[in-house]
Amino acid sequence: MSALTFTLKYKPAQRVDLSPLVCHQLADLSLADIGAILLQSGKLKLRVDELFTIEGSDTQDIVINNSTDNLDFIGKELDGGRISVNGDAGAYLAFGLKSGEIKVSGNVGLYAACEMKKGYLEVSGNAGDFLGAALPGNKMGMKGGTILVKGNVGERAGDHMRRGNILIEGNAGDYCGSRMTAGTIAVMGRTGRYLGYAMRRGTLLLWNQPTLSASFNDCGAHTLAFLPILFASFKSLNSRFADASIAFNRVQRYAGDMSEMGRGEVLVKL
Amino acid sequence: MLIKLTGGTVYDPASGIDGQQQDIYIKDGRIVAMPTDAVVDKEYDLKGKVVMSGAIDMHTHIGGGKGNIARTLLPEDHRQDPVHRSDITRSGCGHAMPSTFVTGYRYAEMGYTAGFEPAVLPINARQAHMEMADIPILDKGGYVMLGSDDYLLRMLTAKKDQKAINDYVAWTMQSAKAIGVKVVNPGGINAFKFNQRKLDLDEQNSHYGVTPRDILQVLATAVKEIGVSHPLHVHGCNLGVPGNVQTTLDTIQGIGGLPMHLTHIQFHSYGTEGDFKFSSGAAQIAEAINRNKNITIDVGQILFGQTVTASGDSMRQHANHKHASPNKWVTMDIECDAGCGVVPFKYKDQNFVNALQWAIGLETFLLVNDPWRIFLTTDHPNGAPFTSYPHLIRLLMDRSFRNDVLSTIHPEAQKMTSLASIEREYTLQEIAIMTRAGAARLIGLKDRGGLSAGNWADITVYTDNTDRQKMFEKPDYVFKDGQLVVVDGKVVSTKWGTTHVVRPDYDPSVEKGLKDYFDRYLTMKLGNFKISDDEITEDGRGSITVHPLKGEVA
Repeated sequence: MSALTFTLKYKPAQRVDLSPLVCHQLADLSLADIGAILLQSGKLKLRVDELFTIEGSDTQDIVINNSTDNLDFIGKELDGGRISVNGDAGAYLAFGLKSGEIKVSGNVGLYAACEMKKGYLEVSGNAGDFLGAALPGNKMGMKGGTILVKGNVGERAGDHMRRGNILIEGNAGDYCGSRMTAGTIAVMGRTGRYLGYAMRRGTLLLWNQPTLSASFNDCGAHTLAFLPILFASFKSLNSRFADASIAFNRVQRYAGDMSEMGRGEVLVKL
Repeated sequence: MLIKLTGGTVYDPASGIDGQQQDIYIKDGRIVAMPTDAVVDKEYDLKGKVVMSGAIDMHTHIGGGKGNIARTLLPEDHRQDPVHRSDITRSGCGHAMPSTFVTGYRYAEMGYTAGFEPAVLPINARQAHMEMADIPILDKGGYVMLGSDDYLLRMLTAKKDQKAINDYVAWTMQSAKAIGVKVVNPGGINAFKFNQRKLDLDEQNSHYGVTPRDILQVLATAVKEIGVSHPLHVHGCNLGVPGNVQTTLDTIQGIGGLPMHLTHIQFHSYGTEGDFKFSSGAAQIAEAINRNKNITIDVGQILFGQTVTASGDSMRQHANHKHASPNKWVTMDIECDAGCGVVPFKYKDQNFVNALQWAIGLETFLLVNDPWRIFLTTDHPNGAPFTSYPHLIRLLMDRSFRNDVLSTIHPEAQKMTSLASIEREYTLQEIAIMTRAGAARLIGLKDRGGLSAGNWADITVYTDNTDRQKMFEKPDYVFKDGQLVVVDGKVVSTKWGTTHVVRPDYDPSVEKGLKDYFDRYLTMKLGNFKISDDEITEDGRGSITVHPLKGEVA
């Protein structure tokens, strides 16, 4: 069976909610049924076959070609299966992802992997603000799984994060790891201001010295035995994180945010 | 246009009609006597249907700042419950604290035609009225909140006479466009600002030296003397504190026979017996209510599920914040007036305290004998959203259903309640009293809550069903001021209700002291504080209905 492929015919004028096009919702549908699904776009409802050329048949392996930055909610609450996006994705990519795998070749918008539960998201370009965060007002962001971003990410990555890994090959914006409850964020590039703002627990793993707020305490240099194990777990990734030469086990450790519970840690490569 | 409702079974306690088949005629928005020669333009065959006047919720938080704080605090409450627009209704959202338009539609779709906001802060009254002006279909009104305002407490400290306090209360009611006066944790909200974290009935405010008992006494007297029909609406001391049943009994005794309405009394009926030091005081409370004819109550029933508590009682909300679920909360002081606390709650049937709270509310309903002095509320949204009323009515009217639910709650709570042994089932007439005639009488609404000629035609028609929840969830027809607004539980047309007020007299010289106070301490000038009629009516959809004071001829 070949992958079920949606090729965008034109860039729609308004944003489009693509949440119906997920593997578990298409499982038993014919191509004609899938083509007739209505997608909300501003005030309008557009038929899928009006917007996309549809080919292939494997609903558990979806490909979206020519994707643009105004296609929102791609892979919403995906529960098993695979979605590959060629091009950019809009906001709320992989929203509430339950299991399965989503890969994007381009850049993605705001709130990617918002409140993700499990599974794997890979972004080859950059990600917008609030990567793996909670919806506004909610108390729990990403709860599990792994996010890999090869480019840079915006502000508030991992806001209210609860569990799981966010791996960033590029730079992170301001407030990276803000209000984290637990989980791990690794940033190979630079980080912005207010790193770990109001974080309670969790780990920020950095290759470069950050600018830290006064509410983080320097706890000295440490050799941590868990780091080689953590790096070993990245081996299967298609990423620089899998490269043994980037691994380290010697870090400067900072504890914070002391204005909150203060049990979070920032580990900086020495 | 003359409308005839033919052959319905009418429950109209206001004129003593208990389930008799009769016709009702509607002309120009009002119910009229059978015309001798006029032609009926539209007839509805209601044979076998139950006809009541439109229901009145006499205590529901539908306007005022705390609602918007709750909405801001709980975006998930709105995200999870979107309501789409239709050709005649507007979009909205929200489960525990719905948006204004959705509030109006949902109330109407249950057969309600009026709702009264019990906590209008004088300083925020304009916002409360503007918010209520956006609630379609329903009539509305507000009780203005006094008792923790610095001006009154200063007057009490300065030993001003009752006449001066009467003038201040009447002036505030007129300025804020109110139909009643409420006091919340008398003096306690103010005491919170002076770092007191509890305040008993006879405990002094550390700054003013005034006790809650003093405040209740002068305010209840003022409300009576200026002639306001609705007795002082009291949210007592020690809300939610185990053992507060004694405070409540003392409050009833202490008022010395003056008319007083004790609101959401379920939250004020807790004892300290048993292994968990938490028990039901409902039997003692009900006995006191039955004995003291000057007291009326509404229950503030809790029902299981997610909601949000929004109260002026910043002292108690602050104390309860650790129970917040989800874990986020707000309490704040509001100028010199009062305070505000918003704490989301999830009442769980497997939680001992919640389960017993549920049983205490029902015990209260069933043990108070006189349905004219008890009112059906959940203190929306504090005990549960108002949309749960049909479920609550079924619990009251159907003993076997009640006992079925009882058998599923926390086992220790089952042991601590006498609910299983109470045989009473409410009748349709008693429901009609609690939710219609009684409420209209309590608030002092003329021409509402009854079906006799001369009343406004607020009418609800139900299909009789032994499943009372189904019956009350989905009325066949709802008429508001003679206009058909709901068919089969769905809004079919909308209109705007009126704002009910009273206008007690005061000595204009009261403003002399107030002006100085406003200039020195408040963010608003006295002239701006007073709400004019135009502000409610000038958009062409709002209107004001003035109700007579006691002793006045209607």
